[in-house]
Amino acid sequence: MVDAPVKIPQEWLEEFEAAAQRTLEQRMKYAFIKTYKPVLDDEPVRLFDTMEDYRRWCEENLPDWLGYGRV
Amino acid sequence: MAAFEYRQAEEIRDAFNRHGCRYLFIGKSGAILLGFPDTTQDADLFVEKSPENGRSLVAALREIGFVFSGAVAAEIERGKDFVQLKNGPFDLDLIFAPDGIERFSDAWERRVEVEGFTVCSLDDIIASKLASHRQKDLESLPRLESFRVYWRGKGK
Repeated sequence: MVDAPVKIPQEWLEEFEAAAQRTLEQRMKYAFIKTYKPVLDDEPVRLFDTMEDYRRWCEENLPDWLGYGRV
Repeated sequence: MAAFEYRQAEEIRDAFNRHGCRYLFIGKSGAILLGFPDTTQDADLFVEKSPENGRSLVAALREIGFVFSGAVAAEIERGKDFVQLKNGPFDLDLIFAPDGIERFSDAWERRVEVEGFTVCSLDDIIASKLASHRQKDLESLPRLESFRVYWRGKGK
């Protein structure tokens, strides 16, 4: 079975074209934002032996609305 | 803590190169380096998992301004799958075994270089988001896949 080709929505296409006109420095300035994330931002360092440990920790400790849970 | 800046990405690039640390920008931060217009809070690095690269990584991060105890440094050098750092000049996630990518060496072969930054291919970025099964990653996939079509159309 062959996947249907992805059609780019016009609004996104215009955004991609606009971004292509910007320098990398400008793109990064617009892209990176910082807001406080509860729990996640409250420890200076976290280390996980496995990705599974990390995913499980996120599901058990972070608010659902942050979107770190698996679906 | 302010948002991650271009200047800080340059510090990563330059310090990691000085110390010979092999890394790739991954996740949405990697896609942004490739031209993807979107927002994110995190800078994510896929780092080769080896004792030598771990030592280079710790040295480079200390040079940039991250502060580790000897125990934490030793753990990073010994090898973890995921490390989240909020103890430096910017927040940084270090991923040593991203979902959906078999080996660092494979991703390295497929890498894209942008202004000296080493970045995972869009295929690998999309594969890792798909394999994570996380809500926030799956929500970003349609736009990322559209960007891949656009990007390929530009001969990238």
